[in-house]
Amino acid sequence: MSATYVWTVIVAMAVINFLVRYPPIAILSRVALPQWLRRWLSYIPVAVMATLVTGEVLRPGGTWLPPLTNPYVWAAVGTGVVYWRFRSFLGASLAGVAFFLALRAALG
Amino acid sequence: MGLGFPILLGYLPIGMAFGVLAESLGFTPLQATACSALALAGAGQFIALALMGSGATAIAVVAATTVVNLRYVLFGAALSPHLDRVRPVGQALLAFSLTDETFAVNIDDHRRGSADAWSMAGVGAIAWAGWVGGTAVGALASGLIGDPARWGVQFAMPAMFTALLVAQAESRRHVLVGVIAAALTLGFMLLLPGRWYVVAAPILAATLAAVLPR
Repeated sequence: MSATYVWTVIVAMAVINFLVRYPPIAILSRVALPQWLRRWLSYIPVAVMATLVTGEVLRPGGTWLPPLTNPYVWAAVGTGVVYWRFRSFLGASLAGVAFFLALRAALG
Repeated sequence: MGLGFPILLGYLPIGMAFGVLAESLGFTPLQATACSALALAGAGQFIALALMGSGATAIAVVAATTVVNLRYVLFGAALSPHLDRVRPVGQALLAFSLTDETFAVNIDDHRRGSADAWSMAGVGAIAWAGWVGGTAVGALASGLIGDPARWGVQFAMPAMFTALLVAQAESRRHVLVGVIAAALTLGFMLLLPGRWYVVAAPILAATLAAVLPR
């Protein structure tokens, strides 16, 4: 892997990362958004998180796993229950990794 | 949520995993750390590594990570009503440090009325430090750490996303949005190439929820 290749990717990713993050904040924070748009935006966090979880657990690393014996799916269910019960972000994340290790060992 | 310290503890191992993987693919420790420091992109960085390892061109790598990172347009828009009193430099720094986790924590803090520009800057700085520090340690000590998959690190990101998802489910309407988004995600994963579902599913789910009668 040549140094030029790696640095090209890093710099391009850095520039694009900033370009997708900054303009929406800079522009939209200066205007009063209409009620319907604010409502639409209020649904975005939960929609994105549901999408990320679904994508990451059903097709981890780009490979589909059979749903019933997929340790990611069941570990995510356990993680969600722990967060819902204890409201601890760190506790739920650690419990999730522990669930995952146990399930991966059990399910092969 | 304690200024993002839980994020720091979550990012350290994932950053280390990124450092180890990058080093194993031929990144120098400096390149791995610079990647995390400048192009803070979580999942996008792992996707970039996978593609680079399979010999993709630089353009293909950047295009794929851009698709995954388009969700930050939505995040920025959702945060923007809270940032009308922050100066442009502050907005730029907040934008630079915006990740899924810092976004969710800041939105949650705003809902409780406990967020301001300083608390958001703190969340961003702490998360960035965890991610970059973890990457440096991973890249420098990859020989000692071994295969990060042994420690279950690949579930650390999904675990954080899951906790953040439950944290966002504040009303029945939000639970409904999450269920719709999950169903659309499955459909779009089967229909769309690459990771376009990351953009398509949330936009359609939020739109459906906004137009459905209450």
